[in-house]
Amino acid sequence: MRQRLSRRSMDSESRQSSEEHHTPPGDPGVVPAATSSDIGKLIQRVVRRDRSAFAQLYEATAPKLLGTVMRILRDRAWADDVIQDAYIKVWQKADQFDAAKASPIAWMASIARNSAIDELRKQPARRSMGDDEIEEIASFQPTAQAELEDQQAVNSLNSCIDELEKDRQDMVRLAYLNGWSRDELAAHFDQPVNTVKTWLHRALKQLKRCLAP
Amino acid sequence: MTDQDDLDTLAAEFVLGTLPPEERASVNARREKDQALDALILAWEERLVPLLHEVTPIEPGPDLLARIEKRLDELEAAAPDSVMNAPTATVTVLQQRVRRWQWSTAVASAAALVLVAVLAFQPAEQPQSFVAVFQHDDQQPAFMLTVDLDNRQLNIRPVTAEPVRDKSYQLWIKADELGPDPRSVGVLTDNMTIDQSALSQYDPQLLKEATFGISVEPPGGSPTGKPTGPAIHGYLYPTDGGNSGQQF
Repeated sequence: MRQRLSRRSMDSESRQSSEEHHTPPGDPGVVPAATSSDIGKLIQRVVRRDRSAFAQLYEATAPKLLGTVMRILRDRAWADDVIQDAYIKVWQKADQFDAAKASPIAWMASIARNSAIDELRKQPARRSMGDDEIEEIASFQPTAQAELEDQQAVNSLNSCIDELEKDRQDMVRLAYLNGWSRDELAAHFDQPVNTVKTWLHRALKQLKRCLAP
Repeated sequence: MTDQDDLDTLAAEFVLGTLPPEERASVNARREKDQALDALILAWEERLVPLLHEVTPIEPGPDLLARIEKRLDELEAAAPDSVMNAPTATVTVLQQRVRRWQWSTAVASAAALVLVAVLAFQPAEQPQSFVAVFQHDDQQPAFMLTVDLDNRQLNIRPVTAEPVRDKSYQLWIKADELGPDPRSVGVLTDNMTIDQSALSQYDPQLLKEATFGISVEPPGGSPTGKPTGPAIHGYLYPTDGGNSGQQF
């Protein structure tokens, strides 16, 4: 299912260059086998200005972060620029990473996502809204194997999202994964912006309750 | 709705990405000073990050890492001090098996100098060769120093340490007989090497009991004759193999 998704997004994004390879999930030898703990150790070495650890950290995380940023910006050159900035920030801010407060992948992903969303809000017109985005959200089938994520956390969050009303499930995914703004959600769901805001707040509160231990 | 609820909702929407740009910017600025807000944001990042499971990884182009590394080189050339920002050690407690050597209080407080590597635990039947490992912290060796006591030859090898623009690394020795202050063994060259015979003036017995350390100094070495810069401390590694990389 994800393979199909990859092909579709390849077809629909004419800007993507031919040398780009989508990494098929579950393909041994292609997916880096770095665990969250490996990533944490690499970040600790980066704190000590270890360039080889930085390169390893990049190898282990860049495909996921590029996928994340590409999904938001839908423009390869733009995404590459954001990834470059994100890794510079990782180098500069590695000493601020606190393993007691954040998981390594959440910390790195937040740097990349924040950069991508800030960029998108600055230049919303640079992104072409894809007709396939809703389909992309809807067609995703969870695979058995998480990559960098904690599989249990993936399952918990998915089952909590499943408890939301259908529109709100899509809103959460379109916002988090595709970078849609309140206005874009309002236009798509044909609701006033304030209604969307209220729905999002309720959805997030419900998620928090559901995820609470 | 309490203020705490409002703050949590703000954090949640910040992480989701749907805050209007001006609110987003204000949250970004505010979290720097507001630890409660920052903690709520981190908690939301943790809650939502499993969604990235749904993102198909994309292999970056072959040049992107090189581009990033080039940019890092430029930034570091512009601000060489950033290299020194790595957290240097607080006092390291050497564990069992390694004899402890305390710097005099005066020295320790005069410079943030923590240099510990004791070369005195090898069984007598072993060759008189020792290795000290200088670490930025408890995980990754920065330098390795080997000392051949019979020939009083030393050899220093950078492991992860890299030359620092406009700074020099300086090797120090400290021993009872040499008085309370560390004494300079020498300044590492730009190629990170040092005169192999720099210890020839010292008695092997003294070397065996001495402590070594490496500090970062202005180019050419400390202007005061004492360590002035951040120091890298060392742990002792055995030369008998089998335990390479193990900490004591």
